[in-house]
Amino acid sequence: MSCLIVQSDKTLLLEVDHELADACRRAIAPFAELERAPEHIHTYRLTPLGLWNARAAGHDAEQVVDALVEYSRYPVPHALLVDVAETMDRYGRLRLSKHPAHGLVLTTTDRPVLEEILRSKRIQPLVGARIDEDTVAVHPSERGQIKQVLLKLGWPAEDFAGYVDGEAHPIELAQDGWALRPYQKQAVEGFWHGGSGVVVLPCGAGKTLVGAGAMAEAKATTLILVTNTVSARQWKHELVRRTSLTEDEIGEYSGTRKEIRPVTIATYQVLTTKRKGVYPHLELFDSRDWGLIVYDEVHLLPAPVFKFTADLQARRRLGLTATLVREDGRESDVFSLIGPKRFDAPWKEIEAQGYIAPADCVEVRVNLTDSERLAYATAETEEKYRYCATTATKRKVTEALVAKHAGQQTLVIGQYIDQLDELGEHLNAPVIKGETPNAQREKLFEAFRQGELSVLVVSKVANFSIDLPEATVAIQVSGTFGSRQEEAQRLGRVLRPKADGHEARFYSVVARDTIDQDFAAHRQRFLAEQGYAYRIVDADDLLTGAGEDI
Amino acid sequence: MTTGGQSSAPRTLAEDLRARDDDALVRLLRARPDLMAPVPSDLTQLATRAATRTSVVRALDRLDAFTRQVAEALALAPDGCAYETLGGLMTGVPAAEATAGLGEPLDDGTARAVAGELPRAVAALRESGLVWGEDDRLRLVRTARDVLAPSASMPSSTGLGPSVAEATAGMSPARLQELLADAGLPATHDPQSAVAALAALFGDPGRFAALLAQAPEGVRAVLDRLVWGPPYGEVRDATVAWRAEEAETPVQWLLARGLLLPAGRNNVVLPREAALGLRAGRAHRAPQPLPPQVAPVQRTQKTVDATAAGQAFTAVRTVADLLKEWQTGGPAVLRAGGLSVRDLKRTAAALDLTEPQAAFWLELAYAAGLVAGDGEVDEAYALTPAADEWLLLPAERQWTALAGAWLAATRTPGLVGTRDAKGRALAALGPDLDRSLAPHVRQAVLGLLAALPPGAAARPEELLARLRWDRPLRASADSLRTDLVRWTLEDAEALGVTGRGALAAHARPLLTVTAAGERGGDGAQDPGGAEGSEGSGAAGAAVKGAAGRRGAGPAAGSGADARAARAAALLAPLLPEPLDHVLLQADLTAVAPGPLIAPLAETLGVLADIESKGGATVYRFTPDSVRRALDAGRTAAELKDFLTAHSRTPVPQPLAYLIDDVARRHGTLRVGAAAAYLRCDDDALLTELLADRRASGLGLRRLAATVLAAQADPATLLERLRAMGLAPAAESAEGDVLITRPDARRTPPRTAPVPVPDGPPTPDGTLLGLAVKTIRAGDRAATAVRRPPEDPPPGVPRTPTAETLATVQSAVLTGQALWIGYVNAEGSATQRVIAPVRVEGGHVTAYDHTTDEMRTFALHRITGVAELADEGA
Repeated sequence: MSCLIVQSDKTLLLEVDHELADACRRAIAPFAELERAPEHIHTYRLTPLGLWNARAAGHDAEQVVDALVEYSRYPVPHALLVDVAETMDRYGRLRLSKHPAHGLVLTTTDRPVLEEILRSKRIQPLVGARIDEDTVAVHPSERGQIKQVLLKLGWPAEDFAGYVDGEAHPIELAQDGWALRPYQKQAVEGFWHGGSGVVVLPCGAGKTLVGAGAMAEAKATTLILVTNTVSARQWKHELVRRTSLTEDEIGEYSGTRKEIRPVTIATYQVLTTKRKGVYPHLELFDSRDWGLIVYDEVHLLPAPVFKFTADLQARRRLGLTATLVREDGRESDVFSLIGPKRFDAPWKEIEAQGYIAPADCVEVRVNLTDSERLAYATAETEEKYRYCATTATKRKVTEALVAKHAGQQTLVIGQYIDQLDELGEHLNAPVIKGETPNAQREKLFEAFRQGELSVLVVSKVANFSIDLPEATVAIQVSGTFGSRQEEAQRLGRVLRPKADGHEARFYSVVARDTIDQDFAAHRQRFLAEQGYAYRIVDADDLLTGAGEDI
Repeated sequence: MTTGGQSSAPRTLAEDLRARDDDALVRLLRARPDLMAPVPSDLTQLATRAATRTSVVRALDRLDAFTRQVAEALALAPDGCAYETLGGLMTGVPAAEATAGLGEPLDDGTARAVAGELPRAVAALRESGLVWGEDDRLRLVRTARDVLAPSASMPSSTGLGPSVAEATAGMSPARLQELLADAGLPATHDPQSAVAALAALFGDPGRFAALLAQAPEGVRAVLDRLVWGPPYGEVRDATVAWRAEEAETPVQWLLARGLLLPAGRNNVVLPREAALGLRAGRAHRAPQPLPPQVAPVQRTQKTVDATAAGQAFTAVRTVADLLKEWQTGGPAVLRAGGLSVRDLKRTAAALDLTEPQAAFWLELAYAAGLVAGDGEVDEAYALTPAADEWLLLPAERQWTALAGAWLAATRTPGLVGTRDAKGRALAALGPDLDRSLAPHVRQAVLGLLAALPPGAAARPEELLARLRWDRPLRASADSLRTDLVRWTLEDAEALGVTGRGALAAHARPLLTVTAAGERGGDGAQDPGGAEGSEGSGAAGAAVKGAAGRRGAGPAAGSGADARAARAAALLAPLLPEPLDHVLLQADLTAVAPGPLIAPLAETLGVLADIESKGGATVYRFTPDSVRRALDAGRTAAELKDFLTAHSRTPVPQPLAYLIDDVARRHGTLRVGAAAAYLRCDDDALLTELLADRRASGLGLRRLAATVLAAQADPATLLERLRAMGLAPAAESAEGDVLITRPDARRTPPRTAPVPVPDGPPTPDGTLLGLAVKTIRAGDRAATAVRRPPEDPPPGVPRTPTAETLATVQSAVLTGQALWIGYVNAEGSATQRVIAPVRVEGGHVTAYDHTTDEMRTFALHRITGVAELADEGA
């Protein structure tokens, strides 16, 4: 009896308690995406992108088939094996490379494939003259486009055309009193050898340092794209602290400042600002001879940036993300334009290594009062969520929770400003929301970091890329309709390693029998699938003190 | 030909049969079961029946490629030829005696193989009653000769044309003599001897070679194109009587010497004798004495069995899932029979299959008698009682039942979605899906696989080549067989009869069952009618047959049962052991790491939704699924106990919470049906009413202190309560008291009715006028005094069509010339003297003495025929 079960829907079930589980996980991880990792059985999925990622990492179909056959408990359906082999065989039939005379060329090892794709209407405008039977010229500016189209046609091309070095700029890691963690090192190496690609690390695992490590390898001017201004400042702060770069060498390119320096950090928002039908700030990409482009939170990369990235294929690109899952389903564009996955480590593993804090997730169900129930039942559909998410009972429960964890760094996270203001008032804690000026935000964050403040109420502006190292307890009172991404981010808030090794607590306060509870079910599933302990308690138990042990 | 044998040698097939022993007759009847329906009264009748065209065609269709080639060669040879002559036709002139320029002799290896296999082929032909007589006088049944002999409409695989005699029929005697002269032969006194002389020339290698040696350049090229067939060529003015001295082109050179003979206005044919002469005497270019080899592709028996068993298990589960899907009634039966495309799609989606796969499993369940139409007015599919029995069987027996049904079924699911000859789409479970060829192909393909070493697979194209040799089929049936072979291999893999293309050990016993069964009961199937379909009648029979097999059948049935048991015993240890536990996880899933025991699977199926299937099953608990379980009468405590009992891991807190949470709300609202209600602020009165025996028929039930529900309708309730001396008031839906007064009754506003006349509406003038005209015209036509038919032009004969046909046919046989009246396409009548050569497809090919050419006449344009008064003309 082995530990792996291959399902007909191309999912792989791995029994984690089995003695062979570790070996099996190592064997299948390169080509199968971990989809769910609850306590007993992990689910991996075979997808074309996953198989091609494996090909890009140098694995071949035989290894994949061997791994499946070796570890499978039941005979593997023959059709599935054939399908795996066929899918993997499609990768690398076409390759983009530099030709001394003709510039960028697309060559094939399988002539019919070239014939097939050349007949496609979408390929025709991207290619130039046929050089010989197996080679066709490609205009250098279409390098990204053609990769995108080829992937859609099911014949992903390998890119061997190399990169420009860009304008050199000395960057070193200043490893004084700290060092890159082993997995961070592996991630940097994996990226550097692959040329371009995506590194997948959980929130709190130190993705910024992977970026810094990559910059130290490139030693060239770097453009860093981040989600928002706070995150940009965070990057700058971290880079000044961890590398040989000085304040003056790092520029911020955002709504308020437009600095272009050897290392420039720009926000997605400013890049995608549209005036009179054009994106005026996309010039930034051309403003310097960048040697490396870092995309933070690749899963949030907006569509116009994709478009521009297609034209930057000659530059090294590093994508950083916690998850390859995009809610808009553009994973294939990430694969073709930024690059294949170069490194991946599941949360649990990094947690087990002690780099991120284990978390205990608790859902607290509150009952609506009778009058609230009636009001909820008669509310307009679009108002319903707001109504149940901001019920007064939640306030009481939140207060009780804060009181319970008095003295611990506590974040209260919510969606609705009214609710947050009210909570802030009752908890006597400052509120950070969209209108809070950046200076004020940073001041409050710093105070929180220093322990001067122990409770902070934040709106969804804090969802991305702020660093609150000492938050031990997070209480979310309302959210954006159960988004998985948001969940990952919020969990990240409390997963940073704690100085005292204290276990992190993640509370969700949920109104019973409402759509709030339905959204919570999504969250619960997500967290449980990530392998976190998840419990549900009744607010009444909590308030009466019956749940002392919670 | 010995005179001694003459007296004992049979003179007819009947006599030959009479001389055979009983075993031989049994073999004959087994080979040709159609001769048995009905049982002939004597051997003469048997012989007559064996010589009928239908029966002979059937018998010929059952021959393997080589035996058929031998039969074809026999059809070329003169009737009653010797074994050696036949051998000569098969192998040709031995290489040593070959004359240069007269064809390549057969290579030695093949020639030896032919010589080795020939006795077997002749014996087979003799056994099936197609050939009779001693070896020195082999006689092919006349009908078989007609069927096999090459003709213009039925080209033979030999690629030979008509004989000189046939090709020159209808040629003027003078022209024949010209041919003889140009071929360098002395003149003869009559056409018959002229034909014989010409044929003899072609048959004599020495003289033939000498004749060809004089041929100008290009002649060989023409002959080479025709020699291996097709023997017909298109030229301009084929009927021009070329003489040797005027011939300019190679074709003219050949036509002048009778090496090519006219076959219609623009066609020439290479006569059979000449072609044989040019082929070194060989009837076939490539005799196939030995079947093509099927090369084994080696796999290990263990992998094969494991894969097949895995697939067998999936098969059983898929059918069980299908039955479960249709548990409470399947989709409607289309009026034309079968399942609508939408229902097929829905079923496929429900089972997570593609449509062709779904069609296969549906047809399999149907063939195994597990689902059928329910026969109601609005007919719908439903499970049969046999399905319930099947569901109770252990997995391996379930599989043998399915595999047995599949092997014997004539249903071909691969056709679903294709269109029939009339362009109608063929529906799954619908009519016209039966192909009698299907079980034969399945048996044959699996039989070939079984003949390979254990654990060996074969390439499909080799299997097909072998089947083609075993039984050559006509083009339409052959393309069906090509499809069937493909489907058989796919289906066998899906069903777990094969694994990785090789026959599984557990399928072997089943195969011998049906292989033997087929040999005995072959009469039921008609391989000849392969391309035809047998409609729903046969489908019904298949179901009955499948059902019958399960019951206490005849002796053969018990043998089949024993074999099925053997197969099941082989399969059982390979099937995954059903588990009695699952793994519960905090993300509200349960994973069954293998098949589950039936009761567990059933309860889990209610309590959770299936998310992923395969070796394992992933179940997901949702509020809906838990509610479903509660609706099915389980309580929260029971469910939790059930999960605790069957989980190898502790029940996760969120799951227990989910069950409690759903249970908390379950049944809070209660729904029931009542015909009327009673409400009263005085609950004492209601209590009294409940206790009153007179109210017992009203079905009163207390819902709340002041409310009773009644099963009687409000009017009855009022009446009965009044009868009990109470004073109830009726209430409207809004709760107002309804007041009934003896009000004058009025309808809602109505318009006056439109008059409905008694008969049909009076027609208007135009219509009447037209009707009268039509009646008049019909009347005139019927009663008109017909002008007596015009006298035929003097001398042109007039005969009815049947008589015309009979006269022309007899003229073909006698070679007599006829006088005919003929109307051409423009309608002008002519009279001609013709010598008919053949009658085919409503046309007469004849030598027209009037114009001195070969031409064809449409039979329906021949106004009449008369035999010539005297041949002297």
